Amino acid sequence: MTDRSVESGLLHARGITKRYGGVVALRDAQFSAGEGEVHALLGENGAGKSTFIKILTGATQPDEGTILLGGDEFASLRPSLASERGIASVFQELSLIPDFTGAENIWFQREPLTPLRMLSTKRLRRSAEVLLGELEFPPIPLDRPVRQLSIAQRQLIEIAKAVGTKPKILILDEATSALAPAEAELVMGMARRLASEGVLCIFISHRLGEVRAVADRLTIFRNGETVGRYVTTEVSDDEVINKIIGRRMDLLYPPRQVRERGEVLLRCTDLSGGLRLKSASLELHRGEILGIGGLQGQGQLELFLRLFGVIRGAGEIEVGGRKVKIRSPRTALSAGIGCALIPEDRQNDGLLLSKSVKENLALPRLREVTRLGLVRPALERILANRAVEDLSIAIEDTNQMVNTLSGGNQQKVVIGKFLYPEIEILLCYDPTRGVDVGAKHDIFSLLQDQASAGRAVLYFSTDVEELIHVPDRVAVMAGGQVTAMLEREDLTDQAVVKAALAVTEEAVA
Amino acid sequence: MTSASTPSLPTTEPTPFVKRGVRSAVLRNVARYRPVYVAYGVLGLMVILYASLDPSVLNVNELNLQVSSGLALILVATGQTIVLLIGGIDLSVGGVISISTCLAATKFGAFGDQILWSVLIVLLGAGAGLANGALIAYVRLNAFVVTLASWSIFGGIALLILPTQGGSIPESYTSALTSVYGTIAVPVFVVVILAILWVWFRSTRMGVRMKAVGSSSQSAYLSGVSIARTTLLAYSLSGMFAALAGLFLVTQTSGGDPLIGNQYVLPSIAAAVIGGSSLAGGRADALGTIAGALIITLLGSVVFTLALPTYWQPVATGLLLVLAATLGALVQKRGEGVKL
Repeated sequence: MTDRSVESGLLHARGITKRYGGVVALRDAQFSAGEGEVHALLGENGAGKSTFIKILTGATQPDEGTILLGGDEFASLRPSLASERGIASVFQELSLIPDFTGAENIWFQREPLTPLRMLSTKRLRRSAEVLLGELEFPPIPLDRPVRQLSIAQRQLIEIAKAVGTKPKILILDEATSALAPAEAELVMGMARRLASEGVLCIFISHRLGEVRAVADRLTIFRNGETVGRYVTTEVSDDEVINKIIGRRMDLLYPPRQVRERGEVLLRCTDLSGGLRLKSASLELHRGEILGIGGLQGQGQLELFLRLFGVIRGAGEIEVGGRKVKIRSPRTALSAGIGCALIPEDRQNDGLLLSKSVKENLALPRLREVTRLGLVRPALERILANRAVEDLSIAIEDTNQMVNTLSGGNQQKVVIGKFLYPEIEILLCYDPTRGVDVGAKHDIFSLLQDQASAGRAVLYFSTDVEELIHVPDRVAVMAGGQVTAMLEREDLTDQAVVKAALAVTEEAVA
Repeated sequence: MTSASTPSLPTTEPTPFVKRGVRSAVLRNVARYRPVYVAYGVLGLMVILYASLDPSVLNVNELNLQVSSGLALILVATGQTIVLLIGGIDLSVGGVISISTCLAATKFGAFGDQILWSVLIVLLGAGAGLANGALIAYVRLNAFVVTLASWSIFGGIALLILPTQGGSIPESYTSALTSVYGTIAVPVFVVVILAILWVWFRSTRMGVRMKAVGSSSQSAYLSGVSIARTTLLAYSLSGMFAALAGLFLVTQTSGGDPLIGNQYVLPSIAAAVIGGSSLAGGRADALGTIAGALIITLLGSVVFTLALPTYWQPVATGLLLVLAATLGALVQKRGEGVKL
């Protein structure tokens, strides 16, 4: 990496300040990047990354500062101006139209028209195929509404949509957070290729491994200020993490606690369900965190949904040695020992956003806080306060609305909903998705504590690094089955990826 | 959104992500418009049922008759479909239809008058829709509440224009709209033109934008769609179609009726839903709605042929609606992956 890019200076943001009411989102922030580089932007949630991206895309305007774009100076940008200048962003919250096909989404608002001013579905599809081929993305069904596609497939379409505008600056805002390692590799490869063609890729990710693999340089934001700018190869992970969180954190991953693996708490035999879960078997012991790995879409989500009764199917489930039939989340929760699901998409599935923390925490336990058929606020408060304390959720009081909390704290509320004594099995499906480093640490500690307290935790993550640091064992899934079981001593990222790939290849062959 | 580059036609043969060939193109079309095909399937079954009760109805005259008696519903339901497409609802069509019939019955005179007032009435309908749309788009009021209120207001205005059934419609006007060319009556031509216009419209940028807004207004906004403009247009079109429905309705009643529109509000929604539209927005097709409206119309004839009390028609419509909603849900579930 040379300093060529600094001199060419495609993008310089200087002294950017943005206030929302009394809150300062960005304070004198600096950012410089040149064409042909992949530049990572790091920082905790709330560090000002999103605000900065909004300013770059013209979605919001800064109060102070200037933006230099290819030599021209701007005090602020508008969305139309930003796109004219070749700035395209892959949004973290997907911006696709659910009822449109992939092809329609990719070219939306830029469709080629026939002489009658009509769209040509066929041409849309052809162009989309060409584009996906150029990006070396895996085949994605382009003639189905995207709402029928997996989150990962939708994310890839979202990326194709942005790349299709032939941007000079491409912003990948956590574009890999929904992707499995193999797909994330594709996106990173694409970023490198675009960079070699002269595009500036601004890469935002909470996964340090990815940042290291793809970025030439990195800029770190903390509390709205630029606290570090480095060439990737000249800085250590520890330094980066310290800059991000601003305090000494020994390790991102809390040490594994020493504990006994107890009796089998959950045994599933030949479970199937949905389109992808086919005859999966596994045993989950008391006092362990069992990780679930594998490529995206190998039935992991369906396994969790099946165990929580959201979908039904064949196979047997034993809880504490007793056979149970799980037909709905309600039966799952009350099946002697229940299961709790921590959803991937907490905002839609895990929380009542416009309700208070208190009400959210009490929801699964309404019976306990009800007297004579009426919900007693005092009981709700006691219950909620205990959970808030146990989980160290950062809030002022439990009447606060959930939608005012940060992502990490929201996730803690989701977990907190199910931490009552009768629940001994926790199902955690990607609980750290889109959560910042500090909150990740807290969530991992929480899971360790739960396992040590005698609960059993089933844990899925799309991040291989998390899978090798958090669980005690990892079950690798492929084709809807558990195809490999990695014990703690075998847990390396190579082993996990290899196990995931090997079996898939076999299945294909 | 300013001008952006449009994708160029591929020069090399791309990797096929979907199957090629006529057969798969047909299958794809069926998959894409499945609810519409289902609606026409049900319409076919209705025709078979009707013909089995009375085989003499299988002729062009009966077609003319059924389409004529269904045309008002087809028109208002087409407008309703456009509003459903963007995720809205329009209850005020009842008031607009009533006003339209009352104005026609009191103002129509010589031929020039008829043309002038027809244009005015259509513009008035569009204006009424525009007002609805403005309240929804700019003041951000709930569509149900806004159009419930304006239904009441427009209904009141209709009563001010013509307090009771009455007025008169010139013979020349009625015969122009009901005349038969060859063996086909004007209303059939109207429906065919409507269908062609719809097939065109749904593939234009505006049609696609409307679908986008109904499917996810947030995502549409992020893609540079003006939600306000789309909303205004959708409600204006709905008002316009309601006015057209009224203008046709007077040829059937040969007079104005300040309450007649009220009978069309819920059936217009029912016709759209039976035709495969979703109240959740983003999934609505006027071709299906035409089938839905004809199904409802035919149900009336079936009830009549069976010599049942006419009250059975709403009962049958209701049952069909439940069936359509169930069918729609089943069709939707197929092929949908598991989601949390």
